[in-house]
Amino acid sequence: MFNSSILEVRNVSKTFNGVVKALDGVSMAVKENEIVSVVGENGAGKSTLMKILVGIYPPDAGELYHKGAKVPFPRNPMEALKRGISIVYQEKGIIPHLKVYQFLFLGLEEKFTRLGRLQLERILGIAKTVLDELGVKCDITSYMYELPLSMQKMVEIVRAILSIRLEHGGAESDGVNPIIILDEPTAPLSREERDELFSHLLEMKKTSSFIFVSHIIPEVMEFSERIYVLRDGKLVAHHDLSREKPTEEELFKEIVGRESHRYLWAKYIYGKPEELKGRPIILSVKNLSKKGYYQDVSFDLHKGECIGLFGPAGSGKSEIARTIYGILAPDSGMIITNGKKVGLKDEPHRRLKMGIGYFSGETGKELFLYWPIRKNISLVNMEKVVKKPIKIAAIINFKAERSLAEKVMKEMRIRAPSVETECYSLSGGNKQKISVGKWLERSPNILVLLDPTIGIDVGSREEIYEALLEMKKGGISMILVSDDPKEYAILCDRIILVKDGKLKKIYTNDEFRKVMQL
Amino acid sequence: MARARIRREWLQKNLTTITPITAAIVLMIALRALNPFFLATYESVVTLIYGMSWFLIAACGLTFVILMGSFDFSIPSVLKLSAMLCGVFYPQVGFAVIPLAIMVSLLFGFINGVLLAKFSIPSFMTTLATSFVAEGLAQIISGGYTRILSDPSFTAISITFIPAKFGLPSIFYWAIALWAVGIIVTLITPFGRAVYGIGGNLTGARLAGINITKVRILVFMLSAFFASIAGILYAAQIQGAHMQIGVLDTIPLFASVVVGGTALSGGTGGIHRTLLGVIIIRWLDSGMSMIGVDYNVRMIVFGAIAIIMTIATIDRRRIKIMK
Repeated sequence: MFNSSILEVRNVSKTFNGVVKALDGVSMAVKENEIVSVVGENGAGKSTLMKILVGIYPPDAGELYHKGAKVPFPRNPMEALKRGISIVYQEKGIIPHLKVYQFLFLGLEEKFTRLGRLQLERILGIAKTVLDELGVKCDITSYMYELPLSMQKMVEIVRAILSIRLEHGGAESDGVNPIIILDEPTAPLSREERDELFSHLLEMKKTSSFIFVSHIIPEVMEFSERIYVLRDGKLVAHHDLSREKPTEEELFKEIVGRESHRYLWAKYIYGKPEELKGRPIILSVKNLSKKGYYQDVSFDLHKGECIGLFGPAGSGKSEIARTIYGILAPDSGMIITNGKKVGLKDEPHRRLKMGIGYFSGETGKELFLYWPIRKNISLVNMEKVVKKPIKIAAIINFKAERSLAEKVMKEMRIRAPSVETECYSLSGGNKQKISVGKWLERSPNILVLLDPTIGIDVGSREEIYEALLEMKKGGISMILVSDDPKEYAILCDRIILVKDGKLKKIYTNDEFRKVMQL
Repeated sequence: MARARIRREWLQKNLTTITPITAAIVLMIALRALNPFFLATYESVVTLIYGMSWFLIAACGLTFVILMGSFDFSIPSVLKLSAMLCGVFYPQVGFAVIPLAIMVSLLFGFINGVLLAKFSIPSFMTTLATSFVAEGLAQIISGGYTRILSDPSFTAISITFIPAKFGLPSIFYWAIALWAVGIIVTLITPFGRAVYGIGGNLTGARLAGINITKVRILVFMLSAFFASIAGILYAAQIQGAHMQIGVLDTIPLFASVVVGGTALSGGTGGIHRTLLGVIIIRWLDSGMSMIGVDYNVRMIVFGAIAIIMTIATIDRRRIKIMK
């Protein structure tokens, strides 16, 4: 059958709690040997659709066709496996202290047991053959944690394929075309690792199909054959890239339903070198070194300037940023802020007193998920919400705390029922806005930003950019470390290229945009 | 339908509050049935107060530490050392023994805190070790002998009745005052917020600019301070000190904190809840002794309660995998 779908869903709908319509009449198809992308903002319904496909949620309505024949929806992941569907989740699903072959066969051991003994030879043999066949080059006896992140992801994917194959008879590729759902697989990866992952996927495509769930537009455009765009639970567009190729702008508009961030470039002015020289220097880093991470790092940060440390993962850029907030202690060098020397071994709380703030996109680490929004916002703004009935005792003024949180919620357009809502129940974008909002309120002299918009949808991303640009306009200096070149182009006045722990070259915003063709 | 769901959600949310209150009421009825004099006579009330007050003070100190996600095994030993310092040195130095006992205890708390904060040694390890040090010190200074403290001016700090006729002993007021101070510190001060913060998300607390080292050391010093006060007041209450003080109190103390609803995982619960936990554990203790349950069996019961309540209060949303 030429070009026929092996899997097709028609008019799937799903409603949660009787009110939230997560999916509304969505149809999609997967053909043999192809990568098909599903894109959309957080909350657009991508994950719900995938969870229906692997049997985690039952749909309210809709039909499922497998090789043209109507079949019931799977009721659990095991049934999905029997239909040849498996999923690789966004979070690390690996077990670090297992060897590669042990991980590949985890939970499948009973198929390879004779008289209660594991047939290790057979397992090793199959593991080797399958990895070779799929073009994944790694030592099957090394531990999972020893592999680079992209390779770990690959092994996870191989494991998904292998378990489908074993469910259908044998470890060989014949007959079955596994459908592997990749839920934002590239989120933790650097650019290089991302490319590496995709080159492998293109190889594996010969025997499998992939549903690629993402919101990173360039990689979706580059690697998939067809793209489904979901917005608010509805299918808003379907592109067959072999026939027509939408521009990134068009795709972006379909995803968020409005204009992209180009207006930010028009609205904000970036500092030119001559003009920046006229501003006071707020942070001066001199000959900062830490063995194995970065050497001889020196730069000046002016008032209201944003410097981007740009480079590949492992270049030492994030270590430099973390050093400035005192999370990492350097071996030697000097950090001077506002004319005062910063103790190199000082903990973050001392840096905060000197006017340095830090915000990382890893919300699980930064935010107190089981605290209400109110407490999360006041945490770095304690001075603003305490009163002192006697000199040495400070007590929290709950009314002031609440109104402070309400103010931040309004400014950042955080969508939550009230300031007492616990943060874990919010979407990724709203969580991030709380983190940005609390620093906005604190307004330190310098804000260190580490992947400030990682893993959040395009709409919230823009709101965060705008808030940060406003802060910068108000005179706050920033240091940005990210993986997304666009982010540097939007936020930074100057971009410093970091390579192998050394600062290589300085670009102005204009130069950088030219080099990056943004 | 909707109302039923709201009620269920409310129940789930307040389960850690409802359970101990229900348990206390059930216990009260049961004890009353066993012993018609329970809470019925002035003497029985005073006896209960004597049993609970010093215990509440020590439990408040422990709650601080547990809220921060750590543990303090040294409380009973520090309590004993404090009582013993009073017993041994009061005859020589008089009331100066009180600051002495407090200073020695604070030193223990300080060491516990520093070992955790600066050398990253888990608190269950450090406090277990320092508990033996305190134990040994108490043994050395006393020679293992029981000391009698019959000077009425010293015992007055715990057993003065206020009001004099049908009043309650002063140790009760000390306990309630310290409990109240504990509540104020944890619930409405930035320091208390920091304690909850460290217990809830250590990395987040550090990134938010909380001085983790300082807070940790202070919390262990607070815990030792509470233990020390409990020891001094207890010595005054029983008019002496002996080596059996605090022995096997670790599990009941810990049980009373978790029964109150403070999760062992840190970050949830509070000192305000500990009072109820103490009441339940002490009532249970006296109830079991009333019906003649053997001391060792009582320990088994407390151990079981501690485990059950730990399971009930631990924040499972947060802890996905326990090792």
